[in-house]
Amino acid sequence: MGGIVLIDETKEATLILERLKPLFTAQWHYQYRIDVVNNQYSHVFNFFLDIRRPKHRERSIPLHSLRTTDLEVLERVISQVRHGTALTLNFVDFGHVRWPLSQCWIR
Amino acid sequence: MDYSQEPHGLFFMIDNKSFYASVESVERGLNPLKSVIIVMSEADNTGSGLVLAASPMAKKLFGISNVSRQYEVPHDERILVVPPRMNLYIQKNLAINKIFREYVADTDLFPYSIDESILDMTKSWRLFGRTPEEVARKIQLRIRNELGLYTTVGIGENPVQAKLALDLQAKHDHELIGRLTYETFPEHIWPITNLEKVWSIGHRTAAHLQRLGIHSMGDLAHVNPYELRHEMGMIGAQLFALAWGIDRSHFQQVRPPKEKSWSNSQVLPRDYRVQREIELVLREIVQQTTSRMRHHHQQAGCISLFVGFAWDGKASDGRSGMSHSRCIDPTDNAQTIIREFMTLFRENWEGQPVRNLGVGLSRLSHSGKLQLDLFQDPDRQIKDDRFDRILDELRDKFGKTAVIPASSLMHGGTMLSRASLVGGHNGGNSFD
Repeated sequence: MGGIVLIDETKEATLILERLKPLFTAQWHYQYRIDVVNNQYSHVFNFFLDIRRPKHRERSIPLHSLRTTDLEVLERVISQVRHGTALTLNFVDFGHVRWPLSQCWIR
Repeated sequence: MDYSQEPHGLFFMIDNKSFYASVESVERGLNPLKSVIIVMSEADNTGSGLVLAASPMAKKLFGISNVSRQYEVPHDERILVVPPRMNLYIQKNLAINKIFREYVADTDLFPYSIDESILDMTKSWRLFGRTPEEVARKIQLRIRNELGLYTTVGIGENPVQAKLALDLQAKHDHELIGRLTYETFPEHIWPITNLEKVWSIGHRTAAHLQRLGIHSMGDLAHVNPYELRHEMGMIGAQLFALAWGIDRSHFQQVRPPKEKSWSNSQVLPRDYRVQREIELVLREIVQQTTSRMRHHHQQAGCISLFVGFAWDGKASDGRSGMSHSRCIDPTDNAQTIIREFMTLFRENWEGQPVRNLGVGLSRLSHSGKLQLDLFQDPDRQIKDDRFDRILDELRDKFGKTAVIPASSLMHGGTMLSRASLVGGHNGGNSFD
């Protein structure tokens, strides 16, 4: 990649929420969760919607990839996503690290 | 066998272990060898769903293989199902080949499929290690560290040895590396009795060999090659060479096929019984194919039509499909070609339900200028010709769906829903 890529955080969060809307149908006995993956190989943060239901196969549907490694950007996007949905966020491969702005543990 | 006259090079055949499933695992922060993940295509024409790839663990625990159907996959909470993202896999394939290019010259790298490449390491391997295995290990580690993916390497003195080392040895090896040479070939390959496992031997060829009393690769190596050639033709000679690990191909001198053609086919999302709907899809496919041909400044002198019948269509007359060809006056005009296809279809179709449609354009020639037909209005002909070219330009500039025939919006049209697919499957989210 290289160079500075300007990321419009509002646009990214809106895109994630827009893609989430038709997929999150809130059905009985379904568990929904958003996975946020720190993919160190591709240097991106990936978002997936994870859907579980007893005695059924688990499904994971890609929502978006945030092309940055900057946790501050991610934190701002996440806070906007949280405004739009109450689904649980699950952070994968972030290690034991604090958010740069709020100083809370990432989890 | 005297191998001294045979080419002695060093070839690597490298493939990715369960490529699509591995890429999806890495994207989710999972280990590709430990995750139980299947990539399932749910495009319209795959019926209930088709497994494009299953991770090694999914294969091991649940016996899921690629191209399993959705209903064959157990309903188990341990299985993670993900949709395909063909564009992402293409990107990863390019990234992997970019790494390969650091080990061989561009002219010595031959991508074989979306997850397999052949590397002619003959001239360069000594730069990277003391033994071919050491070099293979180095490449494996590079790809694992940079992309998170596991690769399998087959090493051979020629391409076919590398391919067999990959398929028959490396995939079962702890280090994921296999190696064959002219010397070790008999020891490793001749005992094989399940001939279908060997590259290039399919179900029918294996049955043919069984009938001839050939039950192992060793048997194959010890038949009289002249008799085998007499019995099976050219393939017989090739199989004999295969049994001895001989491959005289030179990739740098790949010959282009003598007669090129343009073709396109698709499996329909359901059985089509109404003539109007079938013709609609046929028109769409012909339009796409002629457009591709025009991009290469060619015109066709022969059209071929393939129609595959639905399962219940087979029963009535025993045929599973039909295919017909016809010579036409060379043209690249979509309307003319569509008209010819329609005639061909109407002459031969007898009302069977259709599940599969394919068209081909061959006898190609350069389409520099327009040959006017004496019996038609010349202005009309020129206008038709310009019409096609303007459509092509619009689609080049603004995408495949920038201008579409209104008929594609009617019931049965498949073009719009297929426009975003890559190789018939979901390409992934756009803007990613």
